[in-house]
Amino acid sequence: MAQIKKKKNSSTMVTLLWTLAFFLIWELIAFWVESSASIRSPEKVLPHFWKIVAVAFDGKTINGTDTAIQLVWLNAKVTLIRSAQGFVIGASIGFLLAILMSLSQIIKKIAFPYLMIIQMIPILGMAPILLSFTGDIDSSRIIIAAILTFYPVATNTLAGMEAVEKEKHELMYSYAANKWQLYTKTLIPASIPYFFTGLKVSAPLAITASILVDTLQGGIGLGCLLSQSLKGAMTRYVFWLIVVISAAIGILSYLLMGLLEDAISSHKKAERACKR
Amino acid sequence: MNKKQKNMSWQSLSSIIYPAIFGIVVFVMWQGGLLNILLHTDTNTLPSPSRINSIIMDNQAKIFLNLKATVIVALVGLLFGSLIGYGIAIVAAQYRKWGAGGITLASAFNAVPIVALAPVMNNLTKHISSSVDFRSMLAKTLVVMIVCIAGMSVNAYRGLTELKPFSEDLMKTYAAGNFTVFKKLLLPNSIPYVFTALRISLPGSIISALVTEYFSEKVIGIGRQIRENIVTAQFATAWAYIIISCLLGIVLYVLLLLVESVVMKNRNRK
Repeated sequence: MAQIKKKKNSSTMVTLLWTLAFFLIWELIAFWVESSASIRSPEKVLPHFWKIVAVAFDGKTINGTDTAIQLVWLNAKVTLIRSAQGFVIGASIGFLLAILMSLSQIIKKIAFPYLMIIQMIPILGMAPILLSFTGDIDSSRIIIAAILTFYPVATNTLAGMEAVEKEKHELMYSYAANKWQLYTKTLIPASIPYFFTGLKVSAPLAITASILVDTLQGGIGLGCLLSQSLKGAMTRYVFWLIVVISAAIGILSYLLMGLLEDAISSHKKAERACKR
Repeated sequence: MNKKQKNMSWQSLSSIIYPAIFGIVVFVMWQGGLLNILLHTDTNTLPSPSRINSIIMDNQAKIFLNLKATVIVALVGLLFGSLIGYGIAIVAAQYRKWGAGGITLASAFNAVPIVALAPVMNNLTKHISSSVDFRSMLAKTLVVMIVCIAGMSVNAYRGLTELKPFSEDLMKTYAAGNFTVFKKLLLPNSIPYVFTALRISLPGSIISALVTEYFSEKVIGIGRQIRENIVTAQFATAWAYIIISCLLGIVLYVLLLLVESVVMKNRNRK
């Protein structure tokens, strides 16, 4: 046990060191960019990381009312809420569809090829047309996030239900379990790890989708602020702040799904820890 | 033909027939205008398939030009990204203690929204070349490349480290050199994982190619055309480009599956 703990600690240390190395390389490139004679505005290529952090804690207002971090946070909140809405809708539809597909062969046969196709086509490219459908930028952001969430969840959950061994089905049959019991006692619990795999894939996707659709039209949201700052409406550091914060949100959303999984199926936590 | 056989052939046949019927129903509803009523749109925002088709036919040369730009960006980015990703995986697998942490960091990049990279690359390449053509192409390809690196390195690392028990020790008893171990054991073992990575990063590379076109200097590419046409309310033309982008995604994916089935023919997929 002590050895496992030791090993785990050392791997955390290694990851930590790598993260440090990443920022070190960032700084080195930033120095190089700064000293390069041909690059006139280094903050457009790669500014120092500490300067971005400094802007976050800068008390100066940049548009008259808000400081940089207030402005970014205000927009990030809206983006987060939208992508969370889309994510929840997409995940629920994906889960329901997986159950329907495992219940009925006909639905499965109809839906499966189309699920494959959705995976192949660039949904984000369709964002602009969806905007003209709904007419409302807010709902098209949510819909795109939902579509992108929906298929990883549906295919993974279905895979989880189909991975249940035949013996378990036979056991439930010998108990004279009905469909409802079969699903609630065997299939759904068995599919939970797979369901979370789907969620982990789609959580960052939902956020990316929301940010991208933002850039199509003005309003409020991280993507809108991103395109504004690119056009030079405010200091370029706002742009970098958005990059850093959206990266952090993406990674945190992934970690959050892992925490949620630990909370929901805590009895399998040890098993997962060994696998990691 | 006995009953069981009949049942089997119906099983495989129905998995083609059911989705085909569904597709035809949707298509007929779309062409017949029923879809417009259901979605509360006019024929301007959602033109009928025949109209879209005629637009594609009329603009073949222009569409081909844009298609070529997008395909080059997506595939070159995918190629170099995958190669770099695989290279990182090899290095990480050699020095496993340190490599695992690096791979964790690489997988974190999967969660970073790539959109943010596009404008940065534009600014970076501005200083590299004076040709707008070349530098906007380079900027787009770099973004696609970065997107593909993370997925490939994570999957290939698994392919290079999750070996059959004792196979490495066996190689050692044969006194096999590092290169032989790689050629005979690691490379074949990693092939299925490489295809797993490609299945994810191929659609990913197309999507990122389309998205980076939004931000690029030169107005070219399928993604850019979709957006430009929407902005000018040319919805039918935009739809033509959307259909092309979907076809591109499907064709490339099917090609990948074909290559995979040829390569993996004599192998039991895990």
